[in-house]
Amino acid sequence: MRESAVSFFFRNLFLVFWALFALFPLFWMVLLSFKSDAEMFSTTFIFTPTLDNYINVLLHTNYFRCFLDNLIVSGGAVILSTLVGVPAAYALARFNFPGKEDLAFQILSFKFAPEMLVVLPLIIIYNRIGLYDTYLGLIWVYQLITMPLLVWVLRGYFEDIPVEVEQAAQLDGYKWHQIFWKILLPLIRPGLVAAALLSFIFAWNSFTFPLLLSGIKIIPVTVEALRYIGTDTIRYGQMAVAATVTALPEVVLALVIQKHLVRGLSFGAVKG
Amino acid sequence: MARITLEHVTKTFGSTTALNDIDLDVHDKEFFVLFGPAGAGKTTMLKTIAGVEFPDRGLVRIDDRIVNLVDPSERNVSMVFENYALYPHMTVFDNIASPMRSPLHRRDEEHITREVARVADLMGIDALLNRLPSQLSNGQRQRTALGRCLVRKPTVFLMDEPLAHLDAKLRHLMRTELKAMQSQFDTTTIYVTHDYMEALSLGDRIAILNNGRFEQIGTGDEIYYTPVSEFVARLVGEPEINIVDAQVTSGSGGKPAIAIASGGERRLFPIPDDVAPTLDGERNVRMGIRGINLSYRFDPADGYMPGTVYNLEPIGNKSILTIKIDDTTYQAVAPNDLDVELDSPVFIRPDPGAMLFFRKSDGVFLARHDQRHFLGENN
Repeated sequence: MRESAVSFFFRNLFLVFWALFALFPLFWMVLLSFKSDAEMFSTTFIFTPTLDNYINVLLHTNYFRCFLDNLIVSGGAVILSTLVGVPAAYALARFNFPGKEDLAFQILSFKFAPEMLVVLPLIIIYNRIGLYDTYLGLIWVYQLITMPLLVWVLRGYFEDIPVEVEQAAQLDGYKWHQIFWKILLPLIRPGLVAAALLSFIFAWNSFTFPLLLSGIKIIPVTVEALRYIGTDTIRYGQMAVAATVTALPEVVLALVIQKHLVRGLSFGAVKG
Repeated sequence: MARITLEHVTKTFGSTTALNDIDLDVHDKEFFVLFGPAGAGKTTMLKTIAGVEFPDRGLVRIDDRIVNLVDPSERNVSMVFENYALYPHMTVFDNIASPMRSPLHRRDEEHITREVARVADLMGIDALLNRLPSQLSNGQRQRTALGRCLVRKPTVFLMDEPLAHLDAKLRHLMRTELKAMQSQFDTTTIYVTHDYMEALSLGDRIAILNNGRFEQIGTGDEIYYTPVSEFVARLVGEPEINIVDAQVTSGSGGKPAIAIASGGERRLFPIPDDVAPTLDGERNVRMGIRGINLSYRFDPADGYMPGTVYNLEPIGNKSILTIKIDDTTYQAVAPNDLDVELDSPVFIRPDPGAMLFFRKSDGVFLARHDQRHFLGENN
C-alpha cells in the first residue's frame, strides 16, 4: 500500500484546509475574547490584547455559579443515566420480553423528537408538580438527551458478550453482583466511558431545556451567555469569554480520552 | 461423586422443544456420553443440569437432592462450554485460576499457582499462561477451557464437545487422558459429542438424543450392534450403514429368506434361525448391513449381487468402496491398496449373520442374529 508523493501531498493539503475550516470559528472566538469593544469588528488580526473581558465576566458576574450549575446538572444527568442505563441495556440485550424492541426504539426515539415539541407540555407539568427550576427537574429532563446514547451503545456491548461467559462465572462460584463487577464491567468499560463522555457533552451543551425549564435559581452557562445580549448592545467580547471558558472542560475531557472515544464507539466488546 | 437424575424434564425455547419429557439416571462415577445430531438438545441438557438454564417442567436431582432451585454456583459442577466461554479480559492463567479465586472455592495463591501449573502442563499450554484468549488458536482456547474445568474437584464434570476443535492427534491424546483422569478422580462425567468414535471409546453408557428425546441409552456395543432404530443405526459407524427395502419370503426348502432387489430380480439370503420368529408376520422390512459386513469380489459367484463400482475413497487406513446396484448404492469397507476401475463390475454379498432388520413403517429395530449376546445382562 505505497502511495505516491503526489497523492500524499494532496491528501494532507486537504486535511490541513479542513482543519483550518473547522477550527477557525473556535480561533475567532478566542480572538474575540481578548479584544476590546472598540476593536471588536475589525477583521485584521492586529489589535491590542486586553484581559478586560475576562475580568468582567469571571470576577464581576455570577459566571462561576452558572458554571457550577451546569456541572451539577450535566454530571448528575450522566450519573443517573449510567445507574439506570446499564441495567436497562443489560436487560434489553439478555432477556426476551414482550414489546422489547418497541421499548428499545422508544428510548432511541427520544433522540429524534425536537426538544421544543416536548418542552411546552413539560413547562406546565413541571410547574404543577414543583420541578420547575430545580436540579432534579433538569437532571430528569436531561435523561432524554443522555439516556438513549448510553443504552444503545451498551446494549451492543452486552450483546457481544456470550451468555456462556456469565454462565461459566456462575459455575466458577460467583454471585451475580460479583459477575457484574469482575466480568461484565471490565468488558463494557470502553463503551461506558465513551458513551458517558459523549452524553456529558450533549448535556453540557444543552440549551432549550434549561432555557425554558429553569432560569431563576438555576442558570446553566449556555443560558447565562444570553445575558450579554442587551437591549441596546451585544457584548461580544464577554460572550466570547463565557463560551471559551465553557468549552474548556469539554476540550480537556475529549483530549484525555480521545482514544477511548473512537475505540469505544466503533469496536465491539469482545472478539473470540 | 454424584448421581444425576432428571425426571420428566421439559424445556422449550419459544416454539422449539429442546428437551421433551426427559428421564435420565446417570450413575455415580459413570462416564456418560450424550450423542446426537446438531440441535438435538444435548447442550440444553447439560445447561439444565448445571443450573444455568431452568427446566419448564420436571425435576433435576444431584445425589437425590432436588436442585431445581439451587443456584448454579452452589451445585458444585464444573463445565466446559462448547464456545469456550473464556473471560476475554483475563490471561490464560487468570482464566484457569478463576474457580479457585471465587468466594465459594477460594484457595490461597500458592495453591493456585501450583494447580494452574499442573493443569497447564497436562493440557500442554504452559507456555501460554500470560496470553489473552484473543491471542490463542481455537485449539488452545479449548484446552484452556478444559483446564479451567479440570482444575476443580467438583461432584460432576459437564463437558460440551471439549475436544471438537483440537487436531486429530491431540484429540486422540486428550481422549486417553480424559479417560484416565476420570477413573482416577472418581467423578461423574457427562460428556457431549457428535463424534461417534469419541462416544464409543469414552462412554460407559451412551445416550442417543434426537429432537429432545432419547432414542436409545446403552453401552457402546448395544448401540452399535443393536440400534433401536434406523436413525441410531445411521448415526453410528463409518461408512454409514447401508439400509435397503427387503421382503420376508420363503427360500429353498421352505426356510425363511430375505429378498433384496437386484438388477430387476430378487436375490434371496437365508434368515438366521433365531431371527426368523421375530420377522414372522412381517412382509416388507428394511435390511441394514454395515460396510464391514458386506463382502465383495470381482468375478460372479453364487449368492452375490452384481453391481458396478461407483466410487472408491481412500480414508487413511482403509478405503470406502461405493457400489451401485440399480438406483441403490452400497458402501463397503475395502483395504487401502485396492486398485479398481470405476464402472467395472463388482459382486457383493451381505453377511446374513450381521443383518439388522427394521420395521418398514417406522424404522423401529426388529431383530438381528445373536441379539442376546450384544444386549448383555441388562435385558
